Amino acid sequence: MERIIARFVGELRTCGIRVSPGESLDAVQALALAGIRGRRSTRRLLRLTLVKNVHDIPVFDEAFNRFFSRFQFPPEGDIPGLMEAAIVSMEGEFSTMNLVEAHQDEEPGPLLKLDSQIDPEDLQELKSLTEIDPDDTDGSETVVQIKGRRELAKTPRPSRRFVQNPLTIDLGQGQGQDRGIVFSAEEQAAMQDVVSRMMLRLRKDMKRIKNDQNRGKLHVIKTIQKNYRHDMVPFQVALRRKRREKPRLLVLCDVSYSVSHAARFMLLLLHTLHNQLLEVRSFIFNRQLAEITELLANLPVNELMRTIDQGDIVDLDENSSYGQVFLEFKKKFLENLRGRPAVIILGDARNNYDEACDWVLEEIREKSRYMLWLTPEEREIWRRGDCLIDTYGAYCDKVEVVKTVDDLSVVVEDLLLDIYADQAHPLEKKRLREKEAEEEIDYRSYYSRGKSGAEPAFDPSGRSHW
Amino acid sequence: MISEQQVKEFLNQGGYIADDAIVTAVFLALRMEKPILIEGPPGVGKTGLAKALSASLDFPLVRLQCYEGIDEGKALYDWEYGKQLLYTQLLRTQLDNYLSVSADLREAVERLTSEESLFFSRNFLVQRPILRSFLSEKRSLLLIDEIDRSDDEFEALLLECLSEFQISVPELGVIEANRRPLTILTSNGTRMISDALRRRCLYLYIGYPELDREIAIVRAKFPDLCASLARQMVEFLRKARELNLRKPPSVSETLDWAQVLSILKASQLTAEIVANTVGVIAKHQTDLQKVADLAARELG
Repeated sequence: MERIIARFVGELRTCGIRVSPGESLDAVQALALAGIRGRRSTRRLLRLTLVKNVHDIPVFDEAFNRFFSRFQFPPEGDIPGLMEAAIVSMEGEFSTMNLVEAHQDEEPGPLLKLDSQIDPEDLQELKSLTEIDPDDTDGSETVVQIKGRRELAKTPRPSRRFVQNPLTIDLGQGQGQDRGIVFSAEEQAAMQDVVSRMMLRLRKDMKRIKNDQNRGKLHVIKTIQKNYRHDMVPFQVALRRKRREKPRLLVLCDVSYSVSHAARFMLLLLHTLHNQLLEVRSFIFNRQLAEITELLANLPVNELMRTIDQGDIVDLDENSSYGQVFLEFKKKFLENLRGRPAVIILGDARNNYDEACDWVLEEIREKSRYMLWLTPEEREIWRRGDCLIDTYGAYCDKVEVVKTVDDLSVVVEDLLLDIYADQAHPLEKKRLREKEAEEEIDYRSYYSRGKSGAEPAFDPSGRSHW
Repeated sequence: MISEQQVKEFLNQGGYIADDAIVTAVFLALRMEKPILIEGPPGVGKTGLAKALSASLDFPLVRLQCYEGIDEGKALYDWEYGKQLLYTQLLRTQLDNYLSVSADLREAVERLTSEESLFFSRNFLVQRPILRSFLSEKRSLLLIDEIDRSDDEFEALLLECLSEFQISVPELGVIEANRRPLTILTSNGTRMISDALRRRCLYLYIGYPELDREIAIVRAKFPDLCASLARQMVEFLRKARELNLRKPPSVSETLDWAQVLSILKASQLTAEIVANTVGVIAKHQTDLQKVADLAARELG
């Protein structure tokens, strides 16, 4: 039984569920305690012990059905005998397979599966996994697994099915064909992962800043309580905490085709960040501008993406015009912009030779705490064609190149830290500024982020420091 | 030793209609002495399960409600400074006598040091919920409610308690649990719980119950409510859950509503009754309208 569980756990791991050895031990123990009394009860037991996340439950059920599909348990019956038979038959299969694949030192679990059936769903899953591959260096685990699978799939097999199988052909391509923006569970999980790690890091930094900035008036009762043991000599002083409001963030996101790839990750990031730490107002634009804050909060992210993709919110068939959008923003939203938010604009600044209207940016800048422009384009091609990033960039505090989720999370993280530092206690602020000044000398980390080696030769009005 | 069937009976005795997953989880938790982490939408009976278990298994319930900023002083143990201070004051004369025998200061300090453990003994330890449940004579039920409201630090603090069932007090050493309590953690999923904590627990997700189970729950709580009405209201609520409300009605709302209907002595669900009692099911202004519309559509 241990062996079957171990193989099943291996199968779960290939499906992306993290199972620790301790948990598989639990599963074995649970089975021993409750006994094997049929398929449903066994699935329940394994699910209780092996799965630790709601989102993994459907994946688990599918994997369970697939893995144990060969051995149909009758509801009640001679289970130990069947189990024995199962082990024998499985081992028989594995040994023949290992004969064929003697040179290969892979775990035989997935092989069985690849051989038995590849349904379209799996194929879809594999495809979507390769899609995050270039973007998400954090998904290293999944990437490695996929590589493993791909190798398995490519090795010559005795059955002819593999030669004809679309799996080997489609894996490489198929990336750009499907324009529909749909996040797979893996992408969302990877994003959740990036965000949660980012949150952890941020929280640590912020707690430190916060602790220092929470200095307020003396909290008399707490001080007395604390110093009870010192015979009321106030060695330790308790201070009142100040309430801090969440930093506000305003995001303008270009969703035209040219930047859709970056935009989707930005939206997903915001979706995940929203309400955790920030107050975000999100807008998307192409030629029109629309606020999607409510939608982000209420709709499932995939549905929102589909709606955007169908052009239901802003018309996607028109050429994007930044000038128009800025004018519209000024008309509709700028007046009631509250609390000096940090503004992030994501786009390639390709204005299709329309009027630039860059003076609006000046006004937005005045009303905001900080303005950041993110572009998915390399520095080298900024000057080509209709790109106005030099004009627009002059009004921003910073222009950054983001090409991957990691870049994005680093940039947003920096921004949040900046915002927090901005609200910090004057003393702390001074310390941070000094620290920053020390860091500023080291340009390497900054430039390696944008993946472009050359230092920009251009500095329009001295306002931006890139 | 307890069996799964017995667990089910115990739960039924406690007035809790459980499905198989819940029964299995409780059974395993009892036998493997592992905590259960229960997630699910609010009001589906996560805390109710703990209460029912404590009542029917006769385990004293020790409840720890988590909140932002909860720390070990509130959850594990604390030193009773006031009492310590009071004792030193009261014992002053004794101390004087005791120390006056010593020849010089060095000896006095040594004498005092040898008695130091008196003042850091369990006498002066305030037991907070987790320690209390560990030291309880009978096996107790420790309910750590809404763990997602606490901070990461607190979660990390729980790791030792939940995997080893022991608490390290620097002044006293390690305190081990007399009887490992049956531990239930609940979470509404407002924050991701760390993997480290998840790994130490059995994971149980309680969603909205199936139709029959929900009817059984209503019938168990309000036996005098007529069966057809119970079915009618549960079916209506299940439709309401699909309306994409801001706060979908949960099992607790079902029970509230059943109570209201039995007080009103209603025998059949009509659009009018729903309109009059809609405040029991929907808890937001926008939801009120949606539910009333549904009632008009479904019940004419």
